[in-house]
Amino acid sequence: MPQHMTRRVRQGAALAVAAAVGVSLAACSSGGGAGSSNAPEPQTFSFAFSEANTSDTSLAQVAQAFEKLHKGVKITQEKLPAESYAQAIATRVQGGNAPDAFAAESGVGQADSIQPFAKAGLLLELTNPQIKKDLEPAGIDQFSYNGKVYAVSRGSGVNGIIYNDVAAKSVGITISGSSTFEDVLNACATAKAKGKSLFGLAGSIPANTSILAHEIATSTVYGPNPKWNADRNAGKVKFATTQGWTDALNDIKTLSDKGCFQPGAGGAGFDALTNGSSSGKLFGFFAPGGAAASIEAASGGHVKLTVLPFPAHSGTKTYASLSSDQSVTASSKTKSPKLVEEFLAYIASPEGQKIVSTGTGFPVGSTEASQLPSTYQDVAPVVISGDTRSFPPLEWPNGKVNDDLGAGIQGILNGQKTAQQVLQQMDSDWG
Amino acid sequence: MTAAPSRVPAAVAAEPSPARGRRNGPGRVGYGYWWWCIPAVVLTGTTVYVTTVSGGFFAFTNWSGIGSFDFIGIDNFVRIFRTPELLGSLTNTLGLAIGYLVFSNIIGILFALALNRTLKTRYLLRTLIFMPVVLSPVAVSFVWKFIFAFDGPLNQGLGAVGLKGLQQDWLASPTLALGCVLTVMVWQNIGFVMVTYLAGLATVPPELEEAAALDGAGTWRRFRSVTLPMIQPSIAIATTLSLIQGLRVFDQVAALTHGGPDNSTQTLASEIYQQTFTYQQFGFGAAMALMLSVLILIFTIAQQRVTRDRTEIGA
Repeated sequence: MPQHMTRRVRQGAALAVAAAVGVSLAACSSGGGAGSSNAPEPQTFSFAFSEANTSDTSLAQVAQAFEKLHKGVKITQEKLPAESYAQAIATRVQGGNAPDAFAAESGVGQADSIQPFAKAGLLLELTNPQIKKDLEPAGIDQFSYNGKVYAVSRGSGVNGIIYNDVAAKSVGITISGSSTFEDVLNACATAKAKGKSLFGLAGSIPANTSILAHEIATSTVYGPNPKWNADRNAGKVKFATTQGWTDALNDIKTLSDKGCFQPGAGGAGFDALTNGSSSGKLFGFFAPGGAAASIEAASGGHVKLTVLPFPAHSGTKTYASLSSDQSVTASSKTKSPKLVEEFLAYIASPEGQKIVSTGTGFPVGSTEASQLPSTYQDVAPVVISGDTRSFPPLEWPNGKVNDDLGAGIQGILNGQKTAQQVLQQMDSDWG
Repeated sequence: MTAAPSRVPAAVAAEPSPARGRRNGPGRVGYGYWWWCIPAVVLTGTTVYVTTVSGGFFAFTNWSGIGSFDFIGIDNFVRIFRTPELLGSLTNTLGLAIGYLVFSNIIGILFALALNRTLKTRYLLRTLIFMPVVLSPVAVSFVWKFIFAFDGPLNQGLGAVGLKGLQQDWLASPTLALGCVLTVMVWQNIGFVMVTYLAGLATVPPELEEAAALDGAGTWRRFRSVTLPMIQPSIAIATTLSLIQGLRVFDQVAALTHGGPDNSTQTLASEIYQQTFTYQQFGFGAAMALMLSVLILIFTIAQQRVTRDRTEIGA
């Protein structure tokens, strides 16, 4: 037996004896990680996350609520910078000094996605059956690896148009959840005539151009075929040969040609969206729905925004892109595995979801309009009726497919590429 | 190292040995001992060379940055040459490096000649031209991004002087974006190159130029036959550093274009970052980094051979 193994056995025996005489030496146990001892767990654990802005306190609040419910439990909150959060947490997990619990992305494709961590055995398996039950409405696969659950959702949100209805109506434009693509084109013309733009687009940021494509493709691809990703994995379909994908990218080109985006959209960054929105030059942009509540809060209630699904063409059904990908997971090296799992179970529960989902949108599995935030008034009928589809890239095999979609759209806007070329590149990236 | 014993002052060398091991000998360097440099050598070795070799090791694996990995031989290197977009990045890198070298050196030497002697305000102008060098490349790039923006000062300025037809979406145009990156790189490097050449020009005796002038040599002839050969070491330094900086350009690309539009300004360094940290292909990224290092080495050696002092060759 190697020396360090012998030492562990000795430590285990010493702890067993100590427990038998009623002396708690749990804090001294260094058995090497989760579940290595029957001794009481430390009642303090760390929880790392980032906050998008000062008003986004949902994760801090859920930690405080858990502490209130569990006397004697202390959660050490580690608030990390949002800009470098993914890299920082990935480095810590990989380096073996991960926080006990931490915010992460579900699925694959991001630096802090849970599945690569789970594959490497770095995450705590969540065995509480209630967690699995609570996660089912969000789609259990994105929180699992090899059939085992490793994370819980922080709530659901619609990826849509963050829309300033009040400002748009002031120039005679009305777009709602029941509008069509053709209505949007008419509104673009009206806005342009008034020297405004209906939408802002950060064309140089692939994440922004790709989210627009996903919002449109949710109706043109995933609405008619919710299993499109599974079919792509099985080789039954391809991006380049799926009409819905071609239509989605051509729609973006049409929007550009009709002047729906602000001048210079092809090379714009996020600053163009904030500047354009705050100066009243544009009325909407494409982002996760949680942004609406964040902006409203940051403006001190001076700005009223609404979340819209991207309207489908006349005669076809509009589906909303719904994601529950922001999650909380735990390190396999935590010394308080039961307590940490209990914390994650609390986040997944209806009570926890009510608190934590204020940062993302609404609780997973919401079926009533009253459960949705005020910014979701226009999209509520679509969500409640279940006309929603999961955010596509969560099931894609790597991040490059989505990056090339975003970069390719910039190419389409600039005339560098055609829709077919972009889709062929994505097929090539899929592998 | 071999010349070191001769630098020991005679008085010191003649003194009796004050302590054991302080005798003259091959191990002695001036007033110290060779082993005094061990901490520095160890530190450099562990933080620079060992880590570099470790990175090179991962170039032959499929490591994703997390968990275990397999040895895959030269597959990563084969993949580099079979990926068309990487060849585009290589072309961009070489284009930027050569453009950076040529333009920053030509403009830098012109400024150095202009501000070398006669101008009264030369010290103030030197300071102003050198100032961009001390700024962060990322900060400078963000300022230029604002200038190049569609509704930014450049287009507004063109509009104000009646040149609306020249207004462009500078950073979104695949043909102009690379030129914008190059402009920012050159603009920030001119001051450094100028100072390097000013140092070289300070070593040129005015009498030589005066003698050449008396012999009837014109301005160009004096520069070509007198000044240029005498500032050869400065040329070697300025061009070598420019080439290396140009080949590894990253900050300006990341801040100005993110490699866009549609990857048309991607360079090898930005590709390495993207493959390694965005797509979590550490092995592939390490292979690309190794290739870039070899590329820089080859170009630097070639450039050194071109710019070396010819008078030393015959010596």
